[in-house]
Amino acid sequence: MRDKNIKVLLSKLGLDIHNRGIITVAKILRDAGMEVIYTGNSTVDQIIEAAIQESVDIIGVSSLGGAHIQLGSKLVSRAKKEGLKDSKGLVIGGTIPDDDKKKLVDMGFDAIFTSGATREEIVSRIKEIYNEKSKKSA
Amino acid sequence: MTNNKLTTKEIIKKNIPKKKPVFSNSALEEIKKGFFRWKENCVSDHDKENWEVTPQTTLGSGIPRELIYTPLSISNLDYNEDVGFSGQAPFTRGIHPNMYRGKKFTIRQINGFGGPEDTNKRLKFMIKSGATGLSVIFDLPTVQMYDSDDPLSSGQVGTSGVAIDSAVDMETLFEDIPLEDLTVSIVTHFPSNTAIIFPMFLVAAEKKGIPFDKLGGTVQNDTTMEEVVRSGPEYLPPKDVFRIQCDNIEYIRKNIPRWNFVTYNGYNLRDYGTSSVTEMAVAMSNAIATLEEMSSRGHDIDWVAKRLAFFWSISNDFFDEVARIRAARRLWAKIMKYRFGSKEPRSQWMRCHVQTSGLTLTRQEPLNNVVRAAFQALAATLGGAQSLHVSSYDEAYAVPTEEAQLLSVRTQQIIQAETAITEVVDPLGGSYYVEALTDKIEAMILEQIEEIDKLGGYVSAIERGWLHRKVADHFHTEQAKMERGDIKIVGYNTYVSEYKTRNIDVFNYPEKTEERQIKKLKKLRETRNTLKVEETLNDLEKACRSGKNIVPYSLECARAGCTEGELFKVFKSAFGLWNPPVIF
Repeated sequence: MRDKNIKVLLSKLGLDIHNRGIITVAKILRDAGMEVIYTGNSTVDQIIEAAIQESVDIIGVSSLGGAHIQLGSKLVSRAKKEGLKDSKGLVIGGTIPDDDKKKLVDMGFDAIFTSGATREEIVSRIKEIYNEKSKKSA
Repeated sequence: MTNNKLTTKEIIKKNIPKKKPVFSNSALEEIKKGFFRWKENCVSDHDKENWEVTPQTTLGSGIPRELIYTPLSISNLDYNEDVGFSGQAPFTRGIHPNMYRGKKFTIRQINGFGGPEDTNKRLKFMIKSGATGLSVIFDLPTVQMYDSDDPLSSGQVGTSGVAIDSAVDMETLFEDIPLEDLTVSIVTHFPSNTAIIFPMFLVAAEKKGIPFDKLGGTVQNDTTMEEVVRSGPEYLPPKDVFRIQCDNIEYIRKNIPRWNFVTYNGYNLRDYGTSSVTEMAVAMSNAIATLEEMSSRGHDIDWVAKRLAFFWSISNDFFDEVARIRAARRLWAKIMKYRFGSKEPRSQWMRCHVQTSGLTLTRQEPLNNVVRAAFQALAATLGGAQSLHVSSYDEAYAVPTEEAQLLSVRTQQIIQAETAITEVVDPLGGSYYVEALTDKIEAMILEQIEEIDKLGGYVSAIERGWLHRKVADHFHTEQAKMERGDIKIVGYNTYVSEYKTRNIDVFNYPEKTEERQIKKLKKLRETRNTLKVEETLNDLEKACRSGKNIVPYSLECARAGCTEGELFKVFKSAFGLWNPPVIF
């Protein structure tokens, strides 16, 4: 019942060209009862703007092209600047080397999903993040 | 075309000669008796009940397989019409009479990262390691047609490919590389970026003093890539992109005679998420649409078709893959002969580059990928591919390291030098199993071409979202099969072990590519002739609007030092934007 309320914004980060992953995730989350908005390829500014306008709970971005660190850090700092970090979960998925996974967590991402992540992992982690954030902002 | 009102399938059906089967009726009767006796006495009830099983593999055709194949499985096989001899229509056994004895498949690994100076070093390394062809891929901003100093490109310059902004970068990319001695695949996926980037390559060749007719290589130039496979912020409308595709083909065919002006890319469509059959049906439908357009522009079909090339993905269902390449060769020869009335054998060739499937690579236990790719490369060789790229084992982590690329080259060299597979033409030809699969797959591809024909053809199938839906449906179904474990992936959902494999080395991008590119662009913008830039861009826009071939105009832009982003702006202004369907 609570899952129905989870609203997720999904975007391809920047100019990245591969979207099989994020479209798969979009369907997984919708199948799990979440409301999914997919914005396609978007800049950091567009993502933040959409997240505010749609008042989503989770912002999920996908990057397979190698720009996850540069664009990921921009996204986190913009989210912090807009005061979104406490209320909204920030997750990223794609082709990301192990060393960079740590960097992204340190930066402030709430979860990192790489190839091979399962439906259960993704859904349960997003629910967890949603619950943590709801407690914080309540 | 004279046969305009009939579909490809109908035309082939109408024209195909009556079969003269290899096996006589009396021989088949004898085999049938033996077969039923054997089945009755030797085959267990369980196997009889499960005579056919459907292999569950990543991106496979899903054709059910019998327990054993016999002459009864191919009772209608006509040797000359269906199999024949290598180098002769229908080319089932290969396009050359002596196949790999004459010319081994080209070892062509794709490369690209950082700035042009970084990739230039890697290209030289590949040549030293024994690569017999080069293949260059572009970074995200270049593929999506934005300059390195565009705000949209920020943070992505030099990622997943090499940054190219203008003809100057092209010169750096090929510095000290003998373009007249080897072939280069310039992987401009889209028609739009082909029309922009390939002329920059031509300018680089001009500067080296190499005449256009000495250049050999390939561009991709595929509408499917630009409109369906790509995810991007801005799309041009399908009919305009298709027109640019045909403009590129027309210009290159006339002016750079050794250049392969199109590579119908089934690979990325399939790895994006579609079946082995749709991959080929869509690529061939685009080729059919191209030839119709060229014919309506007044060109001889045989003159155009000589340089068509295809690009296939090779996945795990081994015999399916071998049979598929054979089937595509035979079907394409029939399409050329019957639908287009081709008279020259060469223009009936389905020449192909093959890449082992990136989608089948796993992040878990990455060394397993070496084995997967080797089997896939073997299938490509047995299928008779002209050139090969073996995907590297570390690609679920990042762009391949030099060491991983070398291993991919070595995999191919081991096939060529150690296995003796290349000594005999089409070694699996005549296998009851492979011939039966070849028949079945050919029929399935033709059936999907028919489906596309009935939607009004290739461009219409894209405009109507048919292809987008087909892909989305396929990959959601396949995803579910992987999750259920129906499709088995070792180390991921099957034989998962607690054993932690050692970390592999992962590629690191060179630093400061973006700064370097921005600096070069600034210098270019300061030193070039601004009037000339404006004039050539204006002329290009006029050509776009008038329907003239645009490539002579984009070549003038490249010569004047225009940047990629400037040309893309012209396209957007002339053609407007399109919203592709997003389906999930």
